[in-house]
Amino acid sequence: MGEFTRLATGGRRPVRAAAIPGVAYILVILSVLFAIFASGFTSAANLANIGVQSSILLLLALPMTLIIMSEGLDLSIGAVLGLAGVVLALVLVRGGGVALGLAAALAVGFTFGLGNGLLVAVLGMPPFVATLGTLGIAQSLALVATDGQSVVGIGDALPALYTSTWLGIPFSILVGLLAYLAFHFLLYHTRFGAYVFAIGGNREALRLAGARTDLYHVTIYVLGGLMAGVGALLLTGRMNAGHPIAAIGMEFDAIAAVIVGGTSFERGNGWLPGSLLGVLTLGVLKNGLNLLAVPSSLQVVSIGLLVIVALLIDSIRGRA
Amino acid sequence: MPAPPLLEMRGIAKAFPGVRALDDVSLDVQEGEVHTLVGQNGAGKSTLIKVLYGACAPDRGEILFRGQPVRIASPADARRLGVAVIFQELSLVPYLDIAHNIFLGREFRGRFPGSIDHRRMHAEARRLLALLGMDLDTRTPAHKLGVAQQQSVEIAKALSQEARLLVMDEPTAALSEREIERLFEVIGTLKRDGVGIIYISHRLREVFTLGDRVTVLRDGLKVASLRPSETSVDELVRMMVGHEVDTTYRRRFCDQPGEPVLELRDVHADNGVRGVNLTVRAGEIVGLAGLVGAGRSELARAIFGADRISRCEVRVRGQRLHGARWRTGPVRSVRAGVGLVPESRKTEGLALIRSVQDNLLAAALPALFPRHWYSPRRAARGAADLIGRLRVATPSAQRLTKFLSGGNQQKVVVGKWLAAGSRIFIFDEPTRGIDVGAKAEIFGLIEELVAGGAAALMISSELPEIVAVCDRAYVMRDKTVVGELARGDLTEENILRLAMHHG
Repeated sequence: MGEFTRLATGGRRPVRAAAIPGVAYILVILSVLFAIFASGFTSAANLANIGVQSSILLLLALPMTLIIMSEGLDLSIGAVLGLAGVVLALVLVRGGGVALGLAAALAVGFTFGLGNGLLVAVLGMPPFVATLGTLGIAQSLALVATDGQSVVGIGDALPALYTSTWLGIPFSILVGLLAYLAFHFLLYHTRFGAYVFAIGGNREALRLAGARTDLYHVTIYVLGGLMAGVGALLLTGRMNAGHPIAAIGMEFDAIAAVIVGGTSFERGNGWLPGSLLGVLTLGVLKNGLNLLAVPSSLQVVSIGLLVIVALLIDSIRGRA
Repeated sequence: MPAPPLLEMRGIAKAFPGVRALDDVSLDVQEGEVHTLVGQNGAGKSTLIKVLYGACAPDRGEILFRGQPVRIASPADARRLGVAVIFQELSLVPYLDIAHNIFLGREFRGRFPGSIDHRRMHAEARRLLALLGMDLDTRTPAHKLGVAQQQSVEIAKALSQEARLLVMDEPTAALSEREIERLFEVIGTLKRDGVGIIYISHRLREVFTLGDRVTVLRDGLKVASLRPSETSVDELVRMMVGHEVDTTYRRRFCDQPGEPVLELRDVHADNGVRGVNLTVRAGEIVGLAGLVGAGRSELARAIFGADRISRCEVRVRGQRLHGARWRTGPVRSVRAGVGLVPESRKTEGLALIRSVQDNLLAAALPALFPRHWYSPRRAARGAADLIGRLRVATPSAQRLTKFLSGGNQQKVVVGKWLAAGSRIFIFDEPTRGIDVGAKAEIFGLIEELVAGGAAALMISSELPEIVAVCDRAYVMRDKTVVGELARGDLTEENILRLAMHHG
């Protein structure tokens, strides 16, 4: 993935075939297969649908890329999204506007992201353990706040926003695109981005360079929480309600998309465009299997296979 | 009055518990001077450098920069003064490009808050590399660079911080001849710019090709500071030996060794060991000498099967040990009777939080309990027997090993292999961290083992130990065996001559 890192860091070189990561091949092959065998896959409506369905996952996969690059993990991101969605719905039910609701959802995300960051970066807890703990907290808070019921009656403002389009682009795709551009700028054009590479690759070198390593490390997790808050806006808008358990398991899809996209858990080796491709691959796979009427229980198997195949391709090519 | 030197270290002393690391060492470096620093392992070179860059506070002594006394309490202080150290373990961020690595933490600010001015940063990085005569694409990520190129990036990083004093710790250790030449050219450029350089090396030839002055350290003391033209390789080697170690131990050497029990023929291993030939016979203690990084521990791990051997063969009592790749590994070695007494006794040799008995029997369980049923009585008997044979000083077999002295811990490790029926013992620095009295006891133990027909391969950095204890010795350098010294030729000077580079 090194070649691509260089391309993505601003090098203006033609893409060499050897540098194309496994995920790109998989995405093309899957798309061609579904275009042939799944009727309706290539219709404009269906393609837009894939984009819409992928946008929430993209919001989580972007910060997850930075988190994994820093040799970390955030298992709580799905549960935090769920809790933020419930809080957002509750604000709307009580007559608060969409702006206030979003602010509340972001506050929830910020709090949990800050907590994760402090546990991992400052207290030095293993990320797996720390975020497993916060996952449990967010999950049960969502259930307590709603009594385990869906929060309905959120009014028309949010659903209207969600179904709105701009130049024909659905709102959720627009949010996903903006988020991608923001993260791309952040990772490849700012100091913060350079420090993300350094935290995963050589934390000591960064510390000796006099950077406030802990602050940046915490910020990475805070971004995860904030993006969960934005994701809550889309999820609640799409479902027209707040569901306490609707986002369960999303962290695994996000991690899968990042890994499939070529980011590794070691040495700060990450590639943001790969995560975008990973998210799209997951979206295409789920959508195609739905069109082929494959039961959802089998779809989980296919995601597992996807992760393994993508890693296999990269490891075989890495050796060559 | 002449200008004060760039750096002056006066009367630096530093003691660690039980070790006098530095004792009244003084050193000065002029602008544009290469001052080489030589000495055996443990002579005090690293400690001196740590003091200089603020990683270790001296007990006594003062440091002057351009004649002004300064206090260096942290690496940040050192950097502010213009001191940069290039360690053997390079410290780049693997997935950042060259320019980012050079300016890590000091990026040029761009138009937006927090953004980076890539154009200026790359231009400046190119300029620095051009100064060093390096033609590298500044967009290449560090993990794609070879060691020599990474070193150049580190030097460029030091230059960008306006370093006036550069410390290089064995910079040529991993370089090819051509790369070394290039590095020397770079050093020449730096000298002309007035940068002072402290250059640590184990290659004595470099003292003469590169150094303006050389300082020899031994046992934390400065033996001499002189100009290369005033000395010779032989004299330097003589100054470096004479290491004080209690060598009251006298053993009866083995006159008639038995059959070869361990034979290596052109062994190559994944960990870097290459082309090693070596034979150990029953009843012999064979030394394995060399400087730190020469590949001794790697060879021990390869023989033991802990690291994979790529080309071999290793024969134990005539039987091929590690043949095809699926037949390697410690399991086979242990079954063949090889026991490794590792250097890091506390992490690789023992489970410190377990009892003496548990540790003694750790490798012997298959032998003691062939039917997989554990018998507490038989275990206790086995442990008691070993404790008696090895004279382990422990109040009971149930005592946790972490409460034992270093010497007694070492006996437990040896006992573990005795219980497993080992006949070939590989000792990696068996006396490290063990007090003088216990050392003699450890040697006595090794001698008893070989007197009983076992064979021992002993790695030691203490040359007098090798000379006092071993029947023969092999000397390693650059991951291979470069010479064998028979009993009659086994002297500290001969070992050091082989262990160091001097063309």
